[in-house]
Amino acid sequence: MSEHLTVEVVDADGAIRDALNDIETGTSRQGFLKKALTAGGTVVLGGVAIGGLPALVTAAPGPAQDAKILNFALLLEYLEAEFYTRASASGALSGEAREFSRVVGAHERAHVAFLKGALGSKAGAKPTFDFKGTTEDQTKFLATARVLEDTGVAAYNGQGPNLTKPTLAAAASIVSVEARHAAWVRDILQQNPAPAAFDAAKTQKQIEAAVGATGFITA
Amino acid sequence: MTTKSRRKGGFVAALALFLVFVAFAYGRDPAVDDGGFDLPPIPSASVEVSTQPLLVEAQAAPPPHRLSDVNGISRYLGVEQAVAARATPGFGAKVVARLSTRTPEGTTNVVLALQRVERGGQLWIQARLPILPNNTLGWIPRTALGGYNEVSTHLVVRLSSFKATLYRLGKPIWSARVGVGQRRWPTPTGQFYVRNRLTKYSSATYGPLAFGTSARSATLTDWPAGGFVGIHGTNQPTLIPGRISHGCIRLANADILRLDRLMPPGTPLSIVR
Amino acid sequence: MSDHLTLAQVDRDGALAETLDRIGPDSRAGFLRKGALLGGGIIGGGAVLSALFADAAKAATENDIAIANFALTLEYLEAEFYTEAVAMGAIRNARVRRFAQVVAAHERTHVAALKGMLGARAVAKPSFDFQGTTENEAKFKATAQVLEDTGVMAYAGQAPRVDANAVLKAALAIHTVEARHASWIRHINGAPPAPAAFDKPKTMAQILAAVGKTGFISTGPGMTATGSPPSFTG
Repeated sequence: MSEHLTVEVVDADGAIRDALNDIETGTSRQGFLKKALTAGGTVVLGGVAIGGLPALVTAAPGPAQDAKILNFALLLEYLEAEFYTRASASGALSGEAREFSRVVGAHERAHVAFLKGALGSKAGAKPTFDFKGTTEDQTKFLATARVLEDTGVAAYNGQGPNLTKPTLAAAASIVSVEARHAAWVRDILQQNPAPAAFDAAKTQKQIEAAVGATGFITA
Repeated sequence: MTTKSRRKGGFVAALALFLVFVAFAYGRDPAVDDGGFDLPPIPSASVEVSTQPLLVEAQAAPPPHRLSDVNGISRYLGVEQAVAARATPGFGAKVVARLSTRTPEGTTNVVLALQRVERGGQLWIQARLPILPNNTLGWIPRTALGGYNEVSTHLVVRLSSFKATLYRLGKPIWSARVGVGQRRWPTPTGQFYVRNRLTKYSSATYGPLAFGTSARSATLTDWPAGGFVGIHGTNQPTLIPGRISHGCIRLANADILRLDRLMPPGTPLSIVR
Repeated sequence: MSDHLTLAQVDRDGALAETLDRIGPDSRAGFLRKGALLGGGIIGGGAVLSALFADAAKAATENDIAIANFALTLEYLEAEFYTEAVAMGAIRNARVRRFAQVVAAHERTHVAALKGMLGARAVAKPSFDFQGTTENEAKFKATAQVLEDTGVMAYAGQAPRVDANAVLKAALAIHTVEARHASWIRHINGAPPAPAAFDKPKTMAQILAAVGKTGFISTGPGMTATGSPPSFTG
């Protein structure tokens, strides 16, 4: 498998394209994409159809592509924000884990607000989540937080080159905060806060697969 | 309450909550950077960093720390302020030498750093001094010195075998025959360092290139510019090897040019019998 | 004598090779092959580069080269700061020492990668004077926090200015690691690891001005003189 994590390497097995075709047959792919940009297509994510999540990413940055990517980011921020909100409310956290959830939850909620504001009417709706008990047990909470934050870093870094410059600037100001979160929770867990000299980027498809595998998104 | 007003009340509440979240996230944390364009200043010596360390640390001064090892890395520092070097690390200690910022050749004066201690919050460096008697050490306040410069080389001159060898990290990488001081003007023995490098001058006696060292003639004490021992080329290479000079270490011109490619100034120098 | 980092400085304790080994399963393929790294070394631009930086080297525009040299200057500074701090032996706390060792290895890796990417266009390493901040544990901790936060702001400021995607990918991969470093030392220092929901960028001019004010970049001692013959004993 190529280690060049370029955004062109998306949907290698055509699963998403198939899903889209199921929705609108007989339309040219280009035409469908244009429709998807404005109306939002439906993507199957871990077996759950997510309305409004943009699927294919084209090569050249532009406002329409920015919107798709920001909606992708918004989905992740919705997930993180809800995760921390529920964990803080659960009463299961104490000590520094509680402080972490409080501070980081506020950040993620701010990220949600920012992205929703940037997207305006194009903003996707918040999915329904089931965190499968990870918000109700401190050990599971910390382990899950670590994965979510590391995933956020990889997701934003993967999309950076696809964004227009102003949007990239905004994404850069968010991704470093996700990296701070990741290092913080790793240090709480007494794991290496910075496990490598370079942070790997992941494609949208890889992130979707990882998130889908958690089963956290139920609708 | 009607359904409509309940919904409206719900919306207002949600909006209020949203604004609270936004306000909270945007800089309510008291320790956040205010976004101003000045970075916090580097703390000065007398300011303790106000942090809450997660572990309680011992308060005793750290033990002396070795800074140079002829078989590994040696470190030298520039003398940035004229300063007194003292017998022990303390401002009340006896002055051993007064160091100036420049050598007689006009280069930055440097000292080879041997070890560092901390006394009363002040760092002191024990250094080899370019003074008589040879092999004198002194303690210098760290604040008078510049940044650390590292070398991994070591030059050893063996007088009785008329041989010089350059080592890098303990391994020999260059050697040559040398001329040394005549018996009445002997090349001093001991531990020194290469202090500077002179080039692009016209003097056949000294060859194409000369290195200044911290070693000084113990006999030619009235020599102009302090009687420092140099390592230099020559226009009389047939005299090498031999006791031929006023104390300097002479190399054939080709040998010193080879040495120049391998040995940076600051390199420690050992002269043995 | 060369101003360039020697192999001894770049990979003093083998940490570079070890760090690359730990980059992670997704990125392992295409990154430095261990044998080539240890045999070939990093000196003189004959570097064996990771795919990430090899691609960046090929795609970089003049503007990107200037940005990469700016980044390299900051990485030179950080690498020397942490390497010197470890060598100076003034860090007694094990947690702080581990931070210094890991981050030193990362910054040396960043230097090697950027130097390799820039080849002959790489700026030379400046001389540094850390004015005792590498020789006192409290000063080290405070300075490290400032340096890492600065690095985050520097990369964030430059990312939107980069032309080539390949260069941007490399920059983003370093940017978030600096943020991890910043969070880590803040946590050690008892400061908020993530002080705000959004990290602010700073321009190149702002960063260089702030770095200039520290006085860390200095002209090293001038030890060569020309023109006059020596007045040694002869």
